[in-house]
Amino acid sequence: MRGVVVGGWNYVIAAYSVTTAMLIVYAVSLFVRLTADRGPRTEDKG
Amino acid sequence: MRAALRKELLLQWRTRAQIMSVFVFGATSLLLFSFGVGPNSEVLRQFSAGFLWLGLLLSSTLTLAESFHAEMENRALEGLLLLPADPRALYYGKAIANWIQLSLLGTALVPVMVILYDAGTTRVLSLVGIIILGAAGLSAPGTLYAGMTAQVRAKQTLLPLLLFPLIVPALLASVKATSLVILGDPMQTLRSWLLLLASFDAIYWTLCGLLYPRVVED
Amino acid sequence: MNAENNRFPRTPYILLGLGAALFLFGSWWGLFLAPREQYMGDVQRIMYVHVPTAWNWMLAVIFAFVSAVMFLFTSNYKWDSRLEAGLEVSSLLAFLLCCQGSIWAKPTWGVWWDWDPRLTSVAVLLFAFVGIIALRNFVDDAARRAIWSSVATIIAAVDLPIVYFSVKWWNSLHQQPSSPKTVSSDFYIPLRVNAFAILFLMTGFIMLRARLASRRLANEVSTVPLMEAGETA
Repeated sequence: MRGVVVGGWNYVIAAYSVTTAMLIVYAVSLFVRLTADRGPRTEDKG
Repeated sequence: MRAALRKELLLQWRTRAQIMSVFVFGATSLLLFSFGVGPNSEVLRQFSAGFLWLGLLLSSTLTLAESFHAEMENRALEGLLLLPADPRALYYGKAIANWIQLSLLGTALVPVMVILYDAGTTRVLSLVGIIILGAAGLSAPGTLYAGMTAQVRAKQTLLPLLLFPLIVPALLASVKATSLVILGDPMQTLRSWLLLLASFDAIYWTLCGLLYPRVVED
Repeated sequence: MNAENNRFPRTPYILLGLGAALFLFGSWWGLFLAPREQYMGDVQRIMYVHVPTAWNWMLAVIFAFVSAVMFLFTSNYKWDSRLEAGLEVSSLLAFLLCCQGSIWAKPTWGVWWDWDPRLTSVAVLLFAFVGIIALRNFVDDAARRAIWSSVATIIAAVDLPIVYFSVKWWNSLHQQPSSPKTVSSDFYIPLRVNAFAILFLMTGFIMLRARLASRRLANEVSTVPLMEAGETA
């Protein structure tokens, strides 16, 4: 440890926004892929 | 297994022109690395071990990818698997052949390194020993992955993609050990790096041999 | 973790909702309620998301490894779907870890990348798993794809401790980053809340991704023996 790190809120905000953004993007991509996959399958059945 | 090994070595001997061109490829990459640093002989000497191993690693993807070429050509692998031979013997035969080839290649690249980077050493035997250990670390997983990717389109991309992250510890230990031999070893840490390299080899020669039969089964 | 949970199709969505709520709560606590750390100042608040991600990444890697082993032993394709899910979700978490780790390293050590053994092993395993995902995309035959990616996953997972220790020796002149043991009990609550938040999110992701994988498998393969892929509806 070389003394106290002053400030650094920018880094904190960056870390949290990157994490939240990635999690949301992944969730959206999952939903998109799941709904896209459901389409042709129901056609097959019908 | 001895028969499998003999077959591989015979095959390599017949395609020695290809091995020669791989050596030229490795030597060329050693030449090119120095242009990435600039004509500072002190810095080049410092990095020489890393360059040697990167050159060997890049060349190894060529030889490893080629090692299943003959089998893929005439679908001979399926024929070999029909024989009452253990697929493990096939794997170890191929892996040992690759090991020998890579060790020779690495040894052949040493003079190039010495000349280009002024990285001479009197401990030639330990240097060759490190190359043999490091080549073992490359060839065990390399042969297994080559066996997979040889049957896939885009194999030239996939083999390095799978192999490079995996051999990070072996590369690290080989580079460190080689540079300790070249630049001197004030802390006497060479032994522990060799131990790390040897354990990497032991783990992967066992594990890949265990898993290979599953890779070729159908 | 039952990945292809047909009886409870809503479970992953409930987990995702719960995880998101907990994540908001834990991050709010970590950002605004937790006291400022003595040495690291406010930057230490990154740990409230970084450390839970790391724990869960570890779990995801173990999940992928177990799925790979189980597939090789049972040849049941539900483990193949789980493996696919585990590979993708642990790559996501590893990527997050690399981003958070560099953001943490910049104010702390002045560089974006510090060759810390943990961060480096995460990056190495991220590349290994991305390579395996690429392999899966290039192999059309379902049986080969499943076996090969299981084999590659086992090999990569075995590599993880070796990478960790070799990088540790290689870069031995390095201070230990603060771990939860070195921080006082004030810091535990947001850490734990976020750990469960990301656990729920990860579990939900893995379940949905495995569902997607088994659906694709069922669409792709018409041969009968592979139809145990789950998801018959």
